[in-house]
Amino acid sequence: MDEKKILMVEDEQPIRDMYSQAFSNAGYLVKTAKSAEDAIKILENERYWVMFLDLNLPEMNGIDLCRKIRREYPMAICYAVTGYASLFELNDCREAGFEDYFTKPVNLSDLLNTAAHAFTKIERWKKR
Amino acid sequence: MKILIAEDDLTSRTILQATLSKWGYEVIATTDGKEAWAVFQEIDAPQLAMIDWMMPGMDGPTLCRKLREQKRKDTLYLILLTSKDNREDIVMGLEAGADEYISKPYDNGELRARVNAGRRMITLQNELREREKLQGVLEMAGAICHELNQPLQTVSGFSELLLMDMETGSPNYETLKKIKAGIKRIGDLTHKIMRITRYQSKPYLNESKIIDIEKASRYEEKGE
Repeated sequence: MDEKKILMVEDEQPIRDMYSQAFSNAGYLVKTAKSAEDAIKILENERYWVMFLDLNLPEMNGIDLCRKIRREYPMAICYAVTGYASLFELNDCREAGFEDYFTKPVNLSDLLNTAAHAFTKIERWKKR
Repeated sequence: MKILIAEDDLTSRTILQATLSKWGYEVIATTDGKEAWAVFQEIDAPQLAMIDWMMPGMDGPTLCRKLREQKRKDTLYLILLTSKDNREDIVMGLEAGADEYISKPYDNGELRARVNAGRRMITLQNELREREKLQGVLEMAGAICHELNQPLQTVSGFSELLLMDMETGSPNYETLKKIKAGIKRIGDLTHKIMRITRYQSKPYLNESKIIDIEKASRYEEKGE
C-alpha cells in the first residue's frame, strides 16, 4: 500500500512536536496543522486517510472540521482528541463522523494502536 | 428551620412560639421591630419570619421595607400578622415587602399552611442558590482541567517516547516510569472532575450538593 500518511490537527506546538516524533518513529509520515483552516489547505493539495483532530481549535472547531472533511472525503477516518470532555459529547462526535474519541492526556500507545488499526481497515477497503 | 417572631403582645407571642415549636420550628422570639431587625443582622439569621403589624418603635411594614432595602443575599419570607383586613392595608403591607399576611384572629390550620408555604419557598431558593454556586465552581474546574490536560498530554507523550528508547530496567527507565505513573494519576483526576462537570450540566439533576469526586464522577449510563 501507499505511504502511511497521518494528519494531526492540534493548536499547541509542544503537542504537535510530540505527535510528529511519536508517529514518525512508528513509521508514519506525519503532517501537522495548527488550525482547521490550515488543515483544509493541506487537504486541498494532499490526500490523507487517517487524521487526529483536536476539538478545541482557535477558529473552526474540530467537530465542524470533521463534518467538512467527511463530506468531501467520505473515506477519511477521523479521531477526536480533546482536553475538554465537557465541550462536546460522544454522540456529537459520532454524529459529526468521528470514528472514536480520546480525552487528553491519552497514551501514545493507544493512539499508535488506533492508527495501526485504521490503516489495516483502509488496506482491506482498498482490496475490495 | 429557624423562624423569627416579632410580636409585642406577650400572650400572642407565647402562643405563637409554642405552636411553631410544636411544629418543629426553631423559634427566635423578639418583642418589637428593632429587636427583630438586630436578629436579622446576625450571621445565619432566620429566613422565615412572622411579624406583627403594630409594634412600638418599628412597626411590621417598616421592618419589612428596611429588610428589602438591604438587598440581602439570603431569601427572606416575611409573613405579616395583622388585625387589619381591609384591602388597602393588605396592599400596603405587601408593597412594603411582606410575602404573605395572616389576619388575626387566625386559624391554626391556615397558619400552618402559610408557614409551610414559606418554608417550601425558602428551601427551593436555597437549593437553587447552592446549585448555582456549585455550577460556577464546576465550570471553573472544567476549564482548569482542560488547561491542565494540554501540558499533561505533552509531558505524558514525551515521557512515553523516552521510555520506548530506554533500556528496560535501567535506573532512568524506572524513574521515568514513576513520573509517567504520576502523570497518569493527575490525568485520571482531571477526567473524573470533567465527568462531574458534565453530570452537573444535565438539566435533570436532583442533588444540590456534590463534593465526593469519586462518587460524583461514576460513569453515568445513558441512552444515545
